[in-house]
Amino acid sequence: MSRRYDSRTTIFSPEGRLYQVEYALEAISHAGTALGILAKDGIVLAAERKVTSKLLEQDTSAEKLYILNDNMICAVAGMTADANILINYARQAAQKYLLTYNEDIPCEQLVRRLCDLKQGYTQHGGLRPFGVSFIYAGYDPQRQFQLYQSNPSGNYGGWKATSVGANNASAQSLLKQDYKEDCDLKEACGMAVKVLSKTMDSTKLSSEKIEFATVGKTKDGRIYHHLWGADEITALLKEHNLARDESGLDGDQKIV
Amino acid sequence: MDTLVAQYSQPMFEKENHGEDDQMELYQPAPSLSLKFAMPPVAQPSAWLRAATDDHANPNCPIKIAHGTTTLAFRFQGGIIVATDSRATAGNWIASQTVKKVIEINSCLLGTMAGGAADCQYWLAYLGMQCRLHELRHKRRISVAAASKILANLVYSYKGMGLSMGTMCAGVTPSEGPALYYIDSDGTRLAGNLFCVGSGQTFAYGVLDAEYRYDLTEQEALELGSRSILAATHRDAYSGGFINLYHVKEDGWVKHGFSDTNPIFWKTKLEKGEFSNVTSEMV
Amino acid sequence: MSFQIPLQAQLNNNHTIRKHVLLGITGQDFTLIAASKAAMRGATVLKAADDKTRQLNKHTLMAFSGEAGDTIQFAEYIQANAQLYSMRNGIDLSPSAVANFVRGELASSLRSRKPYNVNLLLGGVDPITLKPSLYWMDYLASLAPLPYAAHGYAQYYCLSILDKHHHPDINYEQGIKILRMCTDELKRRLPIDFKGMLVKVITKDGIREVDYDDSARIDCP
Repeated sequence: MSRRYDSRTTIFSPEGRLYQVEYALEAISHAGTALGILAKDGIVLAAERKVTSKLLEQDTSAEKLYILNDNMICAVAGMTADANILINYARQAAQKYLLTYNEDIPCEQLVRRLCDLKQGYTQHGGLRPFGVSFIYAGYDPQRQFQLYQSNPSGNYGGWKATSVGANNASAQSLLKQDYKEDCDLKEACGMAVKVLSKTMDSTKLSSEKIEFATVGKTKDGRIYHHLWGADEITALLKEHNLARDESGLDGDQKIV
Repeated sequence: MDTLVAQYSQPMFEKENHGEDDQMELYQPAPSLSLKFAMPPVAQPSAWLRAATDDHANPNCPIKIAHGTTTLAFRFQGGIIVATDSRATAGNWIASQTVKKVIEINSCLLGTMAGGAADCQYWLAYLGMQCRLHELRHKRRISVAAASKILANLVYSYKGMGLSMGTMCAGVTPSEGPALYYIDSDGTRLAGNLFCVGSGQTFAYGVLDAEYRYDLTEQEALELGSRSILAATHRDAYSGGFINLYHVKEDGWVKHGFSDTNPIFWKTKLEKGEFSNVTSEMV
Repeated sequence: MSFQIPLQAQLNNNHTIRKHVLLGITGQDFTLIAASKAAMRGATVLKAADDKTRQLNKHTLMAFSGEAGDTIQFAEYIQANAQLYSMRNGIDLSPSAVANFVRGELASSLRSRKPYNVNLLLGGVDPITLKPSLYWMDYLASLAPLPYAAHGYAQYYCLSILDKHHHPDINYEQGIKILRMCTDELKRRLPIDFKGMLVKVITKDGIREVDYDDSARIDCP
């Protein structure tokens, strides 16, 4: 029965479902976890990076976190190739807005532009939906720091803390448990790394296995975004006692 | 050949002709003291001059006349203030920043220059000479009215030949008191309380009109005159250099300096907070 | 056959255009925009209560002068686009965003077969920072943010007054006083009757017309 409906994105099944969109969501649920936490003075994005091989050059390819614009970054869960198309689109949209109005695009507008594109692929025939969910972190003068999430259907929403990818249900419940309304960026970073340590397969984390980024305000009121380097991540992990012992091989290493 | 030479060559000097009616000097269209201009040997001198000098229509014209200026003069209870800038331009070229645009005709009479620099210098010097002759002939100084009329009649006699002048005569005589006249090369001659002349005139008018009163104190009047020139040098590209400031009083004129506009501008901006459109900080 | 039009047609130097008066002054928490009330064509005054401004959104006002027809067409095109943005996004464009948008539109029009020949002043108060702003733009789409600005012959008379009397932190009453100095000077020295000024003020609360009495006769000293 379902064969008739699931090969076309544009056709509803008799139960009113779009199978291709659901399959895309399914693909994402196997991807590395990504999460975002909104603090009063900034936003942190963290993502699990699936280490596929020891031979992979780690520091030359960011996999999960991307800069979209001066005021916005995002975390990706899903097919990286699809994500590249959308990120390129978002970057161009942001630049076009900057060219037209000489100011940064408001966060929600950029999210909406991307989601309009994603939605189009669930409605027009002969095309496959983008197999990507995003978490966006950004700032605009109107609504200050903002955190959004979007999925392949083209739906999006604003969140205080959210996660996508593998184990996102458990990550979500951990966030719900631990989230404090008025936490600052430092606390949020701690929470992010703790949640990630619990949802990831390995017990001990390392800078090779996660990516980290923050959006915040400098002392003179300028907005910055920062993709963390390996040493910064290691320092954070050490601070929270989650770092793998650097001196020798630990359990994880042997399994790989 | 001889006829051609006779037609186009004119003697350098005419014989001086004294003894004419004293009043005639005011009505003589041509200068009596052998200052007859040699006209270019063409049918229409003014058209020829325009073709050679009109840099607006033809940026490559062979002669560029110095035009840009700001000059002002106004009457007030304490006499007359006369102020000018000091820039001479020829097209886009700043030919000088230290031009004297006030001519001291005698101890009680000043003339200002705007328009063609050569025309002004030449004819105001000529006016100075006529005024001195008047003094020698009549044993009293010429009135400002008469002096301005000499100049007006002179430029009118050359009307249509390409003269370009906008001048003011400011002076004080026992008969008239402080008097101010505006004369231009169209032949206009006007008595008045306040005139600004030159490419920067509107800017000077703006500042001057806004705070002008007849009962200004001497200090206020000098300050306003100088500030009005500064305004024009700031906004008009063809005005600049130094502020040349004079005060004509009952017993003659007094010079109040020839001051560089640049430090005055920054002083005005930084101490009074004016010129707020200039945003760069002076460190 | 050619679509080339002579450069002359693009020049914005005819006297009717420059006789229109546009003035703008910013202060500590407001922007004043003043425009002459005469609608002129050749040697005729067609209307003596013309409004040469359009409200673009709650906090932005645009005043315009230039080629008859072009002015209103362009202003209302910009007005429609600014309002479309507000409807789509649930938030108004900031004055600076509007100014840059207008510049872009005018710049692309300038390279078209028939450019809009308009000079503009854009006054606004940013709804978030509450900073007043004023943008000057000419028909060649050159944009400048300024504390005070003018278009046409008014520039020659008013800018020197504003150079002297304007300060960025003036209050509304001082702003009106300086504006009065400017309009008085224009009445005194401009040889045309521009039928008085229509004055509007933009504050954080929006845009309102100022009751500006300029019936007084001003003579040269």
